[in-house]
Amino acid sequence: MTVEVLSGNHAQSEAVRLARVQVVSAYPITPQTTVVEGIAEFVASGRFPTQFVKVESEHSALQVCVSASALGARTYTATSSQGLLLMHELLHWAAGMRAPIVMGVVNRAVAPPWALGADHTDTFSQRDTGWIQLYAENNQEVLDMVLEAYRLAEDPAVRLPVMVAEDAFYLSHTVEPVDVPAQEAVDAFLPPRQGHAILRPGEPSRLGSFTSPEDYVLFRHELAAAADRVVPTLGEVEGDFARRFGRSLGGTVVPYRCEGADAVLVTLGTASTPARATVDALRSEGKKVGLLKLRLLRPFPESELRAALRGVGAVGVFDRAYTFGAAGAVATETRAALYGERERPALTSFVGGVGGREVTPSLVRRVFDHLLRGPEEGIVWSDLEPHRELETHG
Amino acid sequence: MQEVRFLGRGGQGAVIAAELLAQAAFLDGKIPQSFPFFGVERRGAPVTAYARVSSEPIEVRGSIATPDAVVVLDRGLLRFAGATDGLRENGWVLVNAPASVQAFAAPAGIRLASVDAARIAVDHHLGSPTLPIVNTAILGALARVTGIVSLDALERAIAAAVPRKPQENRAAARAGFEEVRPLTDPRSRLPLPPPRPRRELPLPEGPLALRSSEEILTASWRSLRPQIDLSRCTRCNFCWKYCPDVAITLDAEGYPKLEEEHCKGCGICAEVCPPKTIAMVAEA
Amino acid sequence: MARLTIPKEELLRPGHAACPGCGPALAVRLLLKGLGARTIVSIPASCWTVIAGTYPSSALGVPVLDTPIESTGASISGLRAAADALGLEGLTVVGLAGDGGTADIGLQALSGMLERRTDAIYVMYDNEAYMNTGIQRSGATPLGAWTTTTPVSASARGKAEPKKDVMSIVLAHRPAYAATANPSFPEDLVAKAEKARAVHGARFLHLFTPCPPGWKFDSADSVAMGRLATETGLFPLYEVEDGRLKITRRYSRLKPVGEYLSRQGRYSHLTPQEVDAVQAEVLRGWVGLLRREAEAGPAHDAPSASLLTR
Repeated sequence: MTVEVLSGNHAQSEAVRLARVQVVSAYPITPQTTVVEGIAEFVASGRFPTQFVKVESEHSALQVCVSASALGARTYTATSSQGLLLMHELLHWAAGMRAPIVMGVVNRAVAPPWALGADHTDTFSQRDTGWIQLYAENNQEVLDMVLEAYRLAEDPAVRLPVMVAEDAFYLSHTVEPVDVPAQEAVDAFLPPRQGHAILRPGEPSRLGSFTSPEDYVLFRHELAAAADRVVPTLGEVEGDFARRFGRSLGGTVVPYRCEGADAVLVTLGTASTPARATVDALRSEGKKVGLLKLRLLRPFPESELRAALRGVGAVGVFDRAYTFGAAGAVATETRAALYGERERPALTSFVGGVGGREVTPSLVRRVFDHLLRGPEEGIVWSDLEPHRELETHG
Repeated sequence: MQEVRFLGRGGQGAVIAAELLAQAAFLDGKIPQSFPFFGVERRGAPVTAYARVSSEPIEVRGSIATPDAVVVLDRGLLRFAGATDGLRENGWVLVNAPASVQAFAAPAGIRLASVDAARIAVDHHLGSPTLPIVNTAILGALARVTGIVSLDALERAIAAAVPRKPQENRAAARAGFEEVRPLTDPRSRLPLPPPRPRRELPLPEGPLALRSSEEILTASWRSLRPQIDLSRCTRCNFCWKYCPDVAITLDAEGYPKLEEEHCKGCGICAEVCPPKTIAMVAEA
Repeated sequence: MARLTIPKEELLRPGHAACPGCGPALAVRLLLKGLGARTIVSIPASCWTVIAGTYPSSALGVPVLDTPIESTGASISGLRAAADALGLEGLTVVGLAGDGGTADIGLQALSGMLERRTDAIYVMYDNEAYMNTGIQRSGATPLGAWTTTTPVSASARGKAEPKKDVMSIVLAHRPAYAATANPSFPEDLVAKAEKARAVHGARFLHLFTPCPPGWKFDSADSVAMGRLATETGLFPLYEVEDGRLKITRRYSRLKPVGEYLSRQGRYSHLTPQEVDAVQAEVLRGWVGLLRREAEAGPAHDAPSASLLTR
């Protein structure tokens, strides 16, 4: 194991090389480009013997992965924003074919107007496609999650595609130290893919057939059953990862100082970092606040989330996207998950950091102040004002 | 409420028949509904459509399990499983059949009628002799035997909704109305066609199809069958070479053999046969 | 008994769901005789989605992958990449798309696959409209043809635009092999499939596949209609190898195109003047093809260095 200073995007490419991915296909889009540039350099240097298919669109990129996966290959693609939206049709195909594809997604705002910054609208709008969605907070998580994603995706109990999402620029172009495991250790953790329900040359069969309604519903039911097996399987995968590599990503929801908290903020992605610092600051001031970092958005870890929030007085959910006509997406999911609880905490939906706006400690402090004052109906747009601290630095 | 199930083949107009019945019923002041079976229509392949006619608002959708009448646009379809499943006591089975046909396999407790809708259609230049469009003629017959719509409303519906040859179609409906006859021959008291077998539910590993389509018998698509006169066959194998349905095989001596269960009766073999030893004959 | 002029092995199974007299069904039966059993076929949404049967059965004796309608070029690139990565030797990768899935919505993926020199065979089976959805015009529908979206009325004469020339688009990418074929000429079709299989690189076959319900003719006439298309010069049979064009079915005299048009309901509204216009266009195309064949000789010899500035 060596420690290297890597961007989130290069953590993706390193992980793809270590996972011995057999077919890579991608189309460039800012801020994903350095992921595939990194892979191209590995291939050109002879360090990574993969088939890299440089296609003419994201739609084709994912189709290459779906088709290669149908023959049993381990595949990878990466995209962002508009590219992910163009893939939408193929996202359903990948999941419906039970293709264990792993995709790196750099979360970026959706046009119009054009914006390049971090925003979760792109992946949130793919929640119904049958993909597992994992969100990283730092570049170590990016690398580890990609390796775990292949184990999870290819597990016979799951056989579903996985997105590993990282925030634009705050991870994609931020460099920080990352433990890069040795190839032998990764090989021991991640054996070659075992093909299930794939096409084999010389054996007549058909994958993706035309079906009657009677059969179609059975495939949908199977997909739902596989979704139910994701959380326990991820637990097994993470347990094995922790044993082998000595570090744990901490499960589907990661509580921080939630014991006896009056208010807990739920976060996703890089917003968790300033939120954690702010929790420490507020705790030192005697305010009983905590943080719950969500790592898995699909399937939604309902019972883990419920258990983590049991006994909390007020819950705030901080979303880096607005779900049209509702609230923050994580907020609506969390609210639905808590419905089954006898004692339900008050819940406030905060939307902030949209389109790449910085989520600063002072912003998180304002959010906690708001939360401690009492719950609010509807959505709180937490950062419509200009950032004063940025202006002074500017 | 009266419920009608139409059985036909792709291209015969079963879906349009159900719609025309609904249009006509509306003109009679009734509340109608019609519904095609949502499958993939292929010319010659069995097609099902449904119509409901009521004096009250209809609070049900979808296919009809217990029809008051079954209209069979191609009598060959009566041979196949499920054709009259669920037909109500004293319900009607109305069949397109030549006048020479006096009896059908049909259950006790139903009423049977036939009309030569194919001949009526050909007389009125509707469709071709090999694929006559029989729907308007048989609707006229249905109006007569069940009273579900008036002939006047049916003609007005045809005039309003049929873009091609509306006058010929109206005349065909009138002819069907006049010519339909009940079949009372006791020989028609034959056992029910077999009910449709229930499928075993598969437990899919993934959407991976592993069985051969040879299990699917497409003989039900056929209204004409090739009859090969082997005494004049030159063993040129053209019939084998050009068959799109893989329904002709060659024996060890090079003579063609018809695979009856799969032939769809397209007639290509008869057309390409150089010595013309293949004739397309009507299915019995 | 006559010897067999095409392989006996059947890789199309009976019980498929094509209409009676289906040109695409016969074309694929013959195509697979030439390609052999070590083939994998990618099929986008098209008539063949249905022809290949309903789950859990399949009408092809080779593995089949379904894709959305616009994906074929990308899909065969993915299959090729996986076959190479996994060391699956001798696998012939084939895309089987309709004219709509090729000339219209799939054109981008086709161009990408050709430009990448993907080692695969792209087959366009051309029934000249969106037939699976019930006869709507595609870019490959010919001038004047009736479809449900190009109706005929006092002011409308069927499709107002000529057929998209997909082969010229393909040839602009300089594929390793490209050919037209027609199931009414089985030996020619099978020979081209065999040849395509033996060549490496991006390959393209344009199959002319008559559609009885879509073109409005009797199912028994399907083979006759295909023959007439080639005998009139409307759909000439040729192949292009390394840029060299060769006509594989040559006629010193062509049949009048009216013999072909008059037998199809989709052209029943054409006036004699409109038939004459089609005839003139067909003759222009045939003469152009003869010219391209004559030019194709030494055109690919190394250009002289004297063309360069010094």
